[in-house]
Amino acid sequence: MFYRLLIFPVFFIVIANPFYINAETLKFDEYEVKAAFIYNFIKFIEWPDELPKNRPVPINLYVLGYDPFGKALGSLQGKQIRGRTINIKRAGSPKGLINCHILFISSSEKQHIPEILRSIKGLNTLTISDTAGFAKKGIIVNFYTEGEKVRFEINLDAAKRANLTISSKLLGLAKIVRDSQSIGEN
Amino acid sequence: MQNNHINMYYEKEFSLPLILIFIIASIITMTVGNVFAAEQASGSRSDLTGLNIEQLMDIEVATVYGASKFEQTVLEAPSSISIVTASDIKQYGYRTLADILKSIRGFYTTYDRNYDYIGIRGFSRPGDYNSRVLLLIDGHRVNDNIYGTASIGTDFILDVDLIERVEIVRGPGSSLYGTNAFFGIINVITRNGRDIKGMEVSGEGASFGTYKGRMTYGNQFKNGLNMLLSASAYDSKGQSLYYKEFDTPDQNNGRTDGCDYDKYKSLFGKISLRDVVVEGAFITRQKGIPTSSWGTQFNESGSKTTDNLGYVDVKYERNFEDKFDVMARFHYNRYKYEGTYVSTPVNKDSALGEWWGGELKLGKTFFEKHRMIFGIEYQDNIKQNQENYFINPDFTAMDDRRTSMNWGVYLQDEFTILENLTLNAGVRHDHYQTFGGTTNPRIALIYNPFDTAFIKLIYGEAFRAPNAFEYYYHDGNVTTKSNKNLSPETIKTYELVYEQYFRNQLRLTASGFYYKIKDLISQQIDPADGLLAFNNVEEVEAKGLEFELGRKWKNGFEGRISYTLQETKNLDTGRLLSNSPKNMGKLNMICPLINKKLSAGLELQYTGAKTTINNNNAGGFLTGNLTLFSKDFYKGIEASASVYNIFDRAYNDPGGPEHVQNKIEQNGRSFRLKITYRF
Repeated sequence: MFYRLLIFPVFFIVIANPFYINAETLKFDEYEVKAAFIYNFIKFIEWPDELPKNRPVPINLYVLGYDPFGKALGSLQGKQIRGRTINIKRAGSPKGLINCHILFISSSEKQHIPEILRSIKGLNTLTISDTAGFAKKGIIVNFYTEGEKVRFEINLDAAKRANLTISSKLLGLAKIVRDSQSIGEN
Repeated sequence: MQNNHINMYYEKEFSLPLILIFIIASIITMTVGNVFAAEQASGSRSDLTGLNIEQLMDIEVATVYGASKFEQTVLEAPSSISIVTASDIKQYGYRTLADILKSIRGFYTTYDRNYDYIGIRGFSRPGDYNSRVLLLIDGHRVNDNIYGTASIGTDFILDVDLIERVEIVRGPGSSLYGTNAFFGIINVITRNGRDIKGMEVSGEGASFGTYKGRMTYGNQFKNGLNMLLSASAYDSKGQSLYYKEFDTPDQNNGRTDGCDYDKYKSLFGKISLRDVVVEGAFITRQKGIPTSSWGTQFNESGSKTTDNLGYVDVKYERNFEDKFDVMARFHYNRYKYEGTYVSTPVNKDSALGEWWGGELKLGKTFFEKHRMIFGIEYQDNIKQNQENYFINPDFTAMDDRRTSMNWGVYLQDEFTILENLTLNAGVRHDHYQTFGGTTNPRIALIYNPFDTAFIKLIYGEAFRAPNAFEYYYHDGNVTTKSNKNLSPETIKTYELVYEQYFRNQLRLTASGFYYKIKDLISQQIDPADGLLAFNNVEEVEAKGLEFELGRKWKNGFEGRISYTLQETKNLDTGRLLSNSPKNMGKLNMICPLINKKLSAGLELQYTGAKTTINNNNAGGFLTGNLTLFSKDFYKGIEASASVYNIFDRAYNDPGGPEHVQNKIEQNGRSFRLKITYRF
């Protein structure tokens, strides 16, 4: 019996060790994961300024409010995707944002969603957040966690208003939500 | 005596090396963790942007719902929590909720070849059908209104393949959930239609003539409608078993034949649109009784129990802008039990429970520092009927029809005192038509001294309302009488939990607990008339320590190891409780073999020696299970092969007083093959 018991620590050491010596076994910080999601979204979303004749313009990604990403978002700075370069910027206020392709709205802005949405109206901005209930308030993509995994919901009404085309593949992975009545007439 | 001696010997041989092994493995995991922490600091950083969305959706960040009735991370919850996910269920080859619970720190289960029983905090009483644990499915209470049963074996209402995750919350939860949330809460969250997107068909075959099939349809439509419909059927012939207590020529020399069968059919459906979720589940399960319990004839396949349980639950949940969150729930449930006990004359024992109820919950954050929850709950038991009669000659021993109602009101505040100090305080008042009122608080101080380390100091009280069976069951005053003057059992608990998540997915948990239970309801003989009746008699004390260390690697390798040391004592007699192991150890590992396509899931469970109800020793045992799981070798196909009890260890669980056998032998080595196809 004793020897049978020994099998397992031995297994733990022998089998497991080679794995973690070779592999890059590093942390997955929640916001690193979310940053990688945002990077991926760009592949599946078409902005109206992407007409075939136009020269590719950079994609401007703004963070509004308290920045929960730390260094995670910085790793996207300067990255190329579909010929477009990603620019990361901080926004102090939603007013005066021009050429804002992606706007991450921090949960610190909970009280100001209607004003924010009003001031970026007509900008073709992909709004992203990770606060419960934000999608129904008119944010296009909202992260949430299910079990231990990061999921996202997409508000189709909001995407339509921003004039963005979202590929069906991305929609298939998302939980689809619609506006709650109170902002339906927006 | 001979037997006891051998068991004692095993116990001694086991504990020391086991403890050593846990320490060694822990040190190794820690060391490796530190090496990596250092490596990470030196700047080698993985680039997640190389992953696609499906891969990103597979990465885990832990959150939990059950402990506070809103989603929060495991670390912030006012309890010590374990989570088992759908991928664990596949990779470890879990067949029932009992399989899942057995793998969890501090939990054990016993099986008497009729029902499965939960052991938690060293506590598993004879005659208790898990009524001291609250079982929820998507937040819906499934403990029935006659026995308070939380079914975890093949009679569990949900096919485990439909589980998205199971949250196991240790400690009392009456301050939010009322009765049954005595030692803990098991909250089962079901899968979503959108994760299936089509049909899923699954078939399995296992030892002892066991077959199971399942068909599931799930989808999400453009208008946001989400739906999941599933049906399962299970049929097991069971084993031919030998019981030395019945080894006489007129009783087939102690051998049963065709008495261990187990069959169920179950249905589950869930439809959600916008803020409304409608969910329904049903199971009918029939189990033969091979142990000849309750004095029935030996080797008689006609002795069996049938349990049916069904519910429909409508839930509305909505977040009103910044104002508040609302949850309203309405449900209807029905439970029917029928036992046939073949002896002369044949005895039929049955129960019919029917109840409906509602709950309203409001949540709001005040001044950014107080996250408050207020709720009311109501349950109307429109049927709590029990019947017991004999056939040939016909005689009705009991025909008891009851109705009752109860309501509860609760309030909880999560108060952020400082950035790293939170006070979670809650209280609930319950009122029962039967015994009156009871109020139960819980208060937890959660301190975050640095980084991802959390210290939780928790005090809680809980109750369990006497159930209809305990109040009213009798057999016409031949051996048993009812007792309508029962009071609820109460528990006071003190717990200190230390949890730390290291940056490299290494997780450490250590906890100590002290529980004191009063007015425990037990069946005893009334000296006045010599009849058995339930009474609030015992006072019990439980204390213990638990350690767990777990780690996940990016390549899919993961492991966890835990050790529990506990002692439960009856304060009246000074004796340790029966069916309560002092030592428990668990080891779980998932090891990817070929990319992400093939993995091995391995578990080892050590349960220390326990005593049976008449103080014999049921020796400690070590069991192991191994599952090979593969997916996507062919698109849409998942297949697994499992070996349970790999060492073919002969071990016994203590039986309740309804059994002649003191110890009930468990299955030896067995196998299962399973294939699931999604299209």
